Amino acid sequence: MIWDYFTLVAIIAIAHWALGALAAWKGKTRTTIVATAIGLAIFFAFIIAMWVTLERPPLRTMGETRLWYSFFLPLAGLLVYARKRYKWILSFTTVLATVFICVNIFKPEIHSKALMPALQSPWFAPHVIVYMMAYAILGAATLMAVYYLAKSYRKVQGVPEAKTYDAAINSEASIEPSRKAAGFTLDSEASAELDGIVRAGLAFLTFGMLFGALWAKEAWGHYWSWDPKETWAAVTWLGYLLFIHYRRLPRHNTRLALWLLIAAFILLQMCWWGINYLPSAQGTSVHTYG
Amino acid sequence: MVTDNLRQAPWDWRLSALICAALVAVGIALQWAVGPVVWAVFAWPVNIICMAALLAALLLMHLLRRKVRLFSYLSSLPAALPAIATALVLTMVMGLTRQTADGHWLSDMLCFWPFVLAYVYVTLIVGLTTLRRLSKIASLLAGPNRSLRIADIAFVLNHAGLFLALTCATLGNPDLQRLKMITTLGAFEWRGVDDSGLLHNLPVAIELKRFIMESYDDGSPRRFASDIHVRTKRGKDFEATVDVNHPVEVDGWKIYQYSYDTKAGADSRISIFELVRDPWLPYAYAGIIMMLAGALFMLFGNGRKEVKES
Repeated sequence: MIWDYFTLVAIIAIAHWALGALAAWKGKTRTTIVATAIGLAIFFAFIIAMWVTLERPPLRTMGETRLWYSFFLPLAGLLVYARKRYKWILSFTTVLATVFICVNIFKPEIHSKALMPALQSPWFAPHVIVYMMAYAILGAATLMAVYYLAKSYRKVQGVPEAKTYDAAINSEASIEPSRKAAGFTLDSEASAELDGIVRAGLAFLTFGMLFGALWAKEAWGHYWSWDPKETWAAVTWLGYLLFIHYRRLPRHNTRLALWLLIAAFILLQMCWWGINYLPSAQGTSVHTYG
Repeated sequence: MVTDNLRQAPWDWRLSALICAALVAVGIALQWAVGPVVWAVFAWPVNIICMAALLAALLLMHLLRRKVRLFSYLSSLPAALPAIATALVLTMVMGLTRQTADGHWLSDMLCFWPFVLAYVYVTLIVGLTTLRRLSKIASLLAGPNRSLRIADIAFVLNHAGLFLALTCATLGNPDLQRLKMITTLGAFEWRGVDDSGLLHNLPVAIELKRFIMESYDDGSPRRFASDIHVRTKRGKDFEATVDVNHPVEVDGWKIYQYSYDTKAGADSRISIFELVRDPWLPYAYAGIIMMLAGALFMLFGNGRKEVKES
């Protein structure tokens, strides 16, 4: 069975990702991109092979969605790296992808061929894949938020950064002492990059949610039923909406914005797997497929 | 210059936070005094009147926005933030509470006044924001540059789409009909049972020709379906197959494979369908499609430019 080869394939893919992450630290851009891309191609080939042998998209169980997540994390990391050249991003995504792969090796939760009728729909693959992509992108954004927050607390007494984006857009900020005490702002490039990534993540989140709505109409008769999974999807969506709106406020607290981003990612965990353990959702969600 | 005013106290986010707190307080008082929101009241034609009144009110507020500062404030970012946060918190409470549709406070959030009022407030803000951006686009198009930016298109699609989806899904819900129809082999059935157990005569009749059940090797179900013969009052007469995920549509009704005689399994001589009619669906879908297009634009547009206004 194809699953027997997973450990081997995963080790090869992780080795490539690790090589890419290492090369990033050394500033070797081409090696970074090529190695990560090869790792991704190998991992994706395995997913396709599973798709073929299972005779259905491998998207049903939590284990199968983790597989996609392990794939999309380095992919999101690579996209961010390609644009921004963060040395650290691929190390983070590689470590996280490895964690998810290890979970899958020790607790496979995979994979009978059975696909219950409710999941036999052309919406199934796009709905879940788009969501996994969103989760990966927003995971990368969360890592960036943690990184910037750590940085901000490290140099809490530090020199005020001279020309920040937020100061530039709001001239009052530069003459307001209390704001300087609050202190931390991102430089304009980092700021635009973070917002760009979150916007991309939110766009995919919107696709996932609305594809789900269109599918629900075909499968269950209505496009929105406030099923616990839907409720938490709405909460997650509102969380990221709050972040991108708050970031547009000319005089906002950057640190609070970064905390919001982390909080939104916690809400996302609730939506993804947290509700499986939530007493209020037990036995009421139609989103349980084992 | 409107935005300049908005940045000054007390027209910052605190006012909106105050409004949200007041709405929650009023909601709790209402819940206590008159009980849960009774959505059935909004059945046709009340809902279309409400929709028209809402649009008229929004337009009026938009036109008066330079005279009444509150109206322009309601389409601003500082007003939006507490509204989103309040909707988020109440939806989170809903996610943490078992929902039962018993009309009892937190366990029936959809009929809980504070929840409903918070979303009405969000809808109001989204509506006014859409109008404001539309009028800005109109003035840009009339201006010397005649420019239309991707960011503006995305903005309108996202906000107008959400407005349309929220209003049509909510106001249309009382018109939504969902009935279970139990059909037996070889006999036409035209009656359906609603959620409260009442029997209704329907304009669609279904005869079960054959129930289909297939299993995987391990015994887990692979397919439920029914071959049916459909006749409608409007004179349609045809045969079709209803599969899970593949409803059959006729005269504004969608016919879903819902259940069967689970004890008999593959030998079931009955098949249960759900018949759904949702006259507001095309409008809610228009909103959803606008939001999808908006998300697509969001991927490619540069949202940063949106910060500068007026």
